[in-house]
Amino acid sequence: MSGRRHQDYLIVGVMAAIALFFLLPFVWILLTSLKPEAEVFSRSLWPSALQFDNYARLLDKMPFWQYLRNSVLITAISVLGVVLSSSLVGYAFGCIEWRGRNFLFYFVIATMMLPMQVTMIPIFVIFKELGWLNTFKPLTVPMFLGGGAFNIFLMRQFFMTVPASLLDAARIDGCSELGIWWRVVLPLARPALATVAILTFMFTWNDFLTPLIYLSDQAKGTLALGLGQLAGQQQPEWAVLMAASVLMMLPVIVLFFLFQKYFIQGFTMSGIKE
Amino acid sequence: MARRRVVKYWFVAGVKDNIPLCVQLFNAAQESIRVVSTPIPWNEHEKKVLTAILSGDPPDVVNLVTPVPKWAARKALVALDPAITRDHFDTTRFFPSLWQEMSYRGRTYALPAYTGSYALFYNRRLLREAGLDPDRPPANWQEIQDYSRRLTRRENGRIVRMGFIPQYGTIETPLIIAFEQGARFIDPAGTRVQLTAPEVVSALQWERDFFDLYTVEEVSAFMGGFGYGNQQGFIAEKVALFINDNSFIDQIARYHPELDYGVAMIPAWGEGPSASSAGSWWLAIPRGAKNREDAWTFMKFVVSRETQLAESMSRDETLFPVNRFAANDSDFLGMHRYMAIFSRQMEQTRSKSIVPLVHDIFWREFSLARERSLRGVMSPEQALGQAERTIQAFLDRALEYDRYVDARMETTEF
Amino acid sequence: MRALNKNTVWGYLFASPWIVGFLLFGLYPILVSFWYSLCQYDVLRIPQYIGLRNYRELLFEDHYFYTAVWNTLFYTLVRTPLVIVGSLLLAMLVSKAVRGVRLFRTIYFIPSIISGVILSVLWMWLLNPEYGLVNSTLQFFGLQGPLWLIDPRWSKPAIILMSVWSLGGGRMLVFLAAIQNVPKHFYEAVEMDGGGWWARFRHVTLPFISPVLFLWFIFEIIGSLQVFVEAYVMTKGGPLNSTLFYNLYLYNKAFDDFDMGYASALAWLLFILAGIITLIQFRVSRKWVYYSGGVGK
Repeated sequence: MSGRRHQDYLIVGVMAAIALFFLLPFVWILLTSLKPEAEVFSRSLWPSALQFDNYARLLDKMPFWQYLRNSVLITAISVLGVVLSSSLVGYAFGCIEWRGRNFLFYFVIATMMLPMQVTMIPIFVIFKELGWLNTFKPLTVPMFLGGGAFNIFLMRQFFMTVPASLLDAARIDGCSELGIWWRVVLPLARPALATVAILTFMFTWNDFLTPLIYLSDQAKGTLALGLGQLAGQQQPEWAVLMAASVLMMLPVIVLFFLFQKYFIQGFTMSGIKE
Repeated sequence: MARRRVVKYWFVAGVKDNIPLCVQLFNAAQESIRVVSTPIPWNEHEKKVLTAILSGDPPDVVNLVTPVPKWAARKALVALDPAITRDHFDTTRFFPSLWQEMSYRGRTYALPAYTGSYALFYNRRLLREAGLDPDRPPANWQEIQDYSRRLTRRENGRIVRMGFIPQYGTIETPLIIAFEQGARFIDPAGTRVQLTAPEVVSALQWERDFFDLYTVEEVSAFMGGFGYGNQQGFIAEKVALFINDNSFIDQIARYHPELDYGVAMIPAWGEGPSASSAGSWWLAIPRGAKNREDAWTFMKFVVSRETQLAESMSRDETLFPVNRFAANDSDFLGMHRYMAIFSRQMEQTRSKSIVPLVHDIFWREFSLARERSLRGVMSPEQALGQAERTIQAFLDRALEYDRYVDARMETTEF
Repeated sequence: MRALNKNTVWGYLFASPWIVGFLLFGLYPILVSFWYSLCQYDVLRIPQYIGLRNYRELLFEDHYFYTAVWNTLFYTLVRTPLVIVGSLLLAMLVSKAVRGVRLFRTIYFIPSIISGVILSVLWMWLLNPEYGLVNSTLQFFGLQGPLWLIDPRWSKPAIILMSVWSLGGGRMLVFLAAIQNVPKHFYEAVEMDGGGWWARFRHVTLPFISPVLFLWFIFEIIGSLQVFVEAYVMTKGGPLNSTLFYNLYLYNKAFDDFDMGYASALAWLLFILAGIITLIQFRVSRKWVYYSGGVGK
């Protein structure tokens, strides 16, 4: 027992050492956000005096609460759309055997391979024809249509580790495919769903280019767009920029911390035996 | 109350409450038009404007800085000549090089709005310390080398101060030197790139000779210690001679008010004249804009002497007027003891938009040629030769496409 | 036969969101970008058909093309194993149920949520040869650090270092989810046979997470081939084109030069290259990827 304890201490020690390596840059961002502008690029890590002016200036420099509301709205809808649709589509490619499946799956992967720089303009033209410019639709509707090749692929790979015997047993019990997806596969795939949710959250939250291109009203802007605007000034105020980035990172950090309970539930907790 | 007609105006900036002064003044000055301004972020701003034009619903006025021909050649802008003629709009108010940049193939597509004027900043204290006369800054590029040699300091083999660094700053030193020798970079018809002309080669050679005393690596490492604000090389007194625009005055005032410095004309080549280069932020009406007439009214207002004066005297970061009358106004010149030098220098600028059809390729290639020559990968002739071939190949493509499109697409007239 | 038909209906039904999305927003961009690759086209003007000239010039006249291919392959080959092994190790470490593990996971995750602009400022500061943290640390151990981003020999390694650091956390998350999915009783079986941690890893964890690992190899390689942001923000391709990556060159062509035809040809060549590599990976995967589900076998 005590050997086990020692091993745990060792593991925590290693983790702490690595943590330092990952944490230090964040500390830099945090401390810089508390510095007066003139000290941002000085050699010293510590501000001469801690001050929160940069945060006050930030609220002054962009419609922060408005942007926050838009960001939360767009991100929430996107996460919902991606989790829902990528798990449906992932189920089709991972758990059902149907004609044309492999053929279509190559197309799923192919869509990852064409750089967005060349597809961006044609996609923009489609949204223009649909009359969706300057609305949240180009940012959210595609999320309900599979949520991107990567998420579909990820779901498929996870679903393929669900024992086939489990699915067959449910089918024999007369469960419909929709029922199996909802009652058998989804509960087992919680870590995967959580992963997709977190990654989608991160991506949407930080996405600068899509809102830039599709949203023209300032009132419709997002936090990432606001951050980009601050960074894009001729003489960026770095300290204010760091304050903005701290405010943008905090919700993600908190959410990630809370979300983790879904990572310790998988097969093990569901009590299903093969 | 009658409803005001709206002009949508996009400008590149970044702040919410920053409604440009010109917009505030314009909206206050009359009752029938209201300009609604939207800041667009500098990062990716070209993409934003590109897609807006593509969407068919662009703003009525855009404020951009990349070469006018880059947009005009792509038929993205409305040709302004009919309006200029109709209103007898006086175009001699603009500094000549700025005005020339506004046209493409004989037609005018934009009005210059703001610029920056470059000059030589010198640190008087450091000059004195090195036994040089603080009232006699270097007048030509040969002197820059001599001064620099005397100003540069090393400690334990590492550079701790340099007189001048050709790579530091936003202006391309060899470009200026080539301009001063009369280099054109391209033939008058605009179809053959002439990068291997002796004036250009000798400019690159000057830069290479300058590096006889230093290695590229040690200078790079030394420059790695520079930052922004008070860590800026000249402000931190690590560089004694530095070419920058007039807004640098405000930065010095903000970050190092006690700095003992002077401003002089950009060094000349031998006995020749001093030259500079400048571009401008310009205003144009994108193709597909709805309210052209009011857009034009607003544009004229922005470049008027009064607005230009009001704007350049009020900003935190001083912008230089494009209007010569504003730039030589006694109120403006009275803002700072060196302002007159910037106004004089502005009369001697040449455009950076040299091969506008393939502008970005030109600058990528030119920088690469400089880097290759400096690092000794190639001789200046070889490096410029390779750049010339690449630029020429892409220019040929662009010209061919131009001819194809011209027969099939119309330019939008005002 | 009836069962197969029923499955087919269900299959298409479940896949329908993607199919609709693909028809609306996927197929058209793919087809039209191929058409543009055969044209002179600058987005704002009409395209001019020029046949295979873009491809010909790229392959036989444009020396930047090969510089970009070399830089990108170097980046891909060095980064992929580093990221995968690194984040897998991290994931295994934080899969242990020890006190404070949630906090550590969160900390490891932090770098991947820093937005692009800030990240580049951060790394320019870290890698600054004069006072950056990296070289200061090296100096502490008596080593003379390189010039990183301003030295053509070190610029690629510097960018790889940055991307491994900043992406490790996100990748860790995916592997962690996969590891958590491994049924515990398999480990117990191995332990009863007297196997140590290596046996547990080799015979249980690895086969069980192999589908996700496989996904990640594919994704990482496709992603590396499209590396862009780091070089775009920090180096613009320099010094001496040492960080001119494929997609950066493509971006320059598409949006600095507005040469969308040329950029589309570049995109299609990359598309073909990525396709071939991915096909090979699928072939090879049959030897090492283990699916416990029925349909994948």
